[in-house]
Amino acid sequence: RHGLDEIVLQPTTNTVEEPLDLIRLSLDERIYVKMRNDRELRGRLHAYDQHLNMILGDVEETVTTVEIDEETYEELYKSTKRNIPMLFVRGDGVVLVAPPLRVG
Amino acid sequence: MSLRKQTPSDFLKQIIGRPVVVKLNSGVDYRGVLACLDGYMNIAIEQTEEYVNGQLKNKYGDAFLRGNNDEYVNKQAHKIKNR
Repeated sequence: RHGLDEIVLQPTTNTVEEPLDLIRLSLDERIYVKMRNDRELRGRLHAYDQHLNMILGDVEETVTTVEIDEETYEELYKSTKRNIPMLFVRGDGVVLVAPPLRVG
Repeated sequence: MSLRKQTPSDFLKQIIGRPVVVKLNSGVDYRGVLACLDGYMNIAIEQTEEYVNGQLKNKYGDAFLRGNNDEYVNKQAHKIKNR
């Protein structure tokens, strides 16, 4: 499988393992996706492409907002969740993909 | 480790397997061992820790960071800037 001794800058099947190859291992598994604009997704990865466009099934989306109390300057973190049975995610909003989180 | 006249491929080969700091433009830091990366600056990191101000989340196993997120990959004195 390691046909070439160097990393080719265009992603082809002859390169050493690259990040997208490893995402393939997560197909059909539940994954955690961090998006721009403080959004997180947890769902089952059905499909993806090189842009990180994805099809996720059985998704829980979490949107986090911060409100600042004008008098106390307290930061109030709010999470809004919703469930989506099947979702197309456009890749340009994706920041990070990982197995489901264990919060530390 | 000399920087003179390396191709990007040579550099990438050198830093695989090393501990790295990946800083996104959003201010979030990811620290871990660089598993692999490609020519688009997509990155796979092992034993990743995410830092936003203080330590927020631990990710075990692989974390994939998408290229084109204004990433800086820092290992010691070496920096790659991705526009």
